[in-house]
Amino acid sequence: MTSVMKRALCNLLIVLMAWTPFQMAYAGVISTDQAVTASAQADRAAVLSVISRSDVSGQLQALGLDAATAKDRVAAMTDEEVRSLNGQLQAVPAGGDGWVIAAVILIGVLIWYFWFRR
Amino acid sequence: MIGQALLLPKNARLTAGVFVCALLLNGCASLLFPQTASLRDARPADLAASAELEEVPFFPQTEYQCGPAALATVLAHAKVKVTPDDLVAQVYVPARKGSLQVEMLAAARRHGLVSYQLAPRLEDMLREIAAGTPVIVLQNLGIGPFDNWHYAVAVGYDLDSGELFLRSGEKERQVLPTLLHEFVWKKSDYWAMVAVPPDRIPATAEESRWLASIAALERAGNARAARVAYATFLKRWPENVNASVGLANTHHAAGELKDAEKVLRAALARQPDSVVVLNNLAQALSDEGRNTEALALVERAVALGGPFASAVSETRDLILKRIKR
Repeated sequence: MTSVMKRALCNLLIVLMAWTPFQMAYAGVISTDQAVTASAQADRAAVLSVISRSDVSGQLQALGLDAATAKDRVAAMTDEEVRSLNGQLQAVPAGGDGWVIAAVILIGVLIWYFWFRR
Repeated sequence: MIGQALLLPKNARLTAGVFVCALLLNGCASLLFPQTASLRDARPADLAASAELEEVPFFPQTEYQCGPAALATVLAHAKVKVTPDDLVAQVYVPARKGSLQVEMLAAARRHGLVSYQLAPRLEDMLREIAAGTPVIVLQNLGIGPFDNWHYAVAVGYDLDSGELFLRSGEKERQVLPTLLHEFVWKKSDYWAMVAVPPDRIPATAEESRWLASIAALERAGNARAARVAYATFLKRWPENVNASVGLANTHHAAGELKDAEKVLRAALARQPDSVVVLNNLAQALSDEGRNTEALALVERAVALGGPFASAVSETRDLILKRIKR
């Protein structure tokens, strides 16, 4: 086996390993998730779901999570949720720090008003 | 006399002025705070005038951690033993210095609760509180172009005083005028969620979206909690075939094939041409070793076609293979 082929095989195995946790637990049964959100192309949706799960997991890692944590977090999402996040992780709201900015701006405005307007 | 004659038109002018101002303000209010205004103008008769869930715990947030704090508040209220620190690894995104809405919903599932995004209505939020369920809301406290997203937990309200009570940031009982809340809530498209134990149904739950929320819990791997939720669902909406499919799937996953079969047969009696029911029943029977019966059912599913055609044909192949063996 040449080293190129070996490398290709290794890459394939890595990808397959990364996908495994996102696959359905048991074959044959149509999952409730699928039944509830039945689309015109259920199979295509299922394949896309596996791909976008590994995408979103990678995107979460790029934002500072370790691989195992990212995978666990994606596993708790529905297909629809994964789709809505894919490629949007920088754009969607992230609830964080409460009053800080609003308070700073408000105090700034008040100072400006009382110092310069009076 | 003259003075009085002069006063009268002045008074009338003043009255007219006040009247116009009031009209303008009223118009502004219903433009700026349409939900608060419509609740004030037409208060639903069956909505309690005030409610407050004083027993909801409080976890003061540390820097940027309002997501874990808000979630811990709701989870702890639902008797889940958890602290905000435990939840940081499940919802917090370091590079964003915050937590995403999807992950707030998803993380509650990991603790065996059903998470449900409310319809974007102030009234629904109040109804949940009145029914005893604290509500996580996403507010935007930024000004102008500055976004400043913040999660808080609404735990009470008073329609007469027009106030809302929240566990928010470092405040254990924040009192916020409802119209101010509506203003900061609007930018998130009035995003709100609840997370409840599987034996409960939120007061404002809609049938199909509630079922999808339970399916999400099942998908996340908590079949035991999902089973309880499906059973509770079927008590309220016994005709829902998809809920029966869900209940049967949780039995199937646990290896309880007889129970799965029983549930699916009842569902099939109600909807004889459901491809999903036929397929899953065939699979259950085949797993029990009754492949001839299973084949007859799966052939019916194959004949019906539809979006699950390839899953059905896989089931058929499997059954045929088992028969040959």
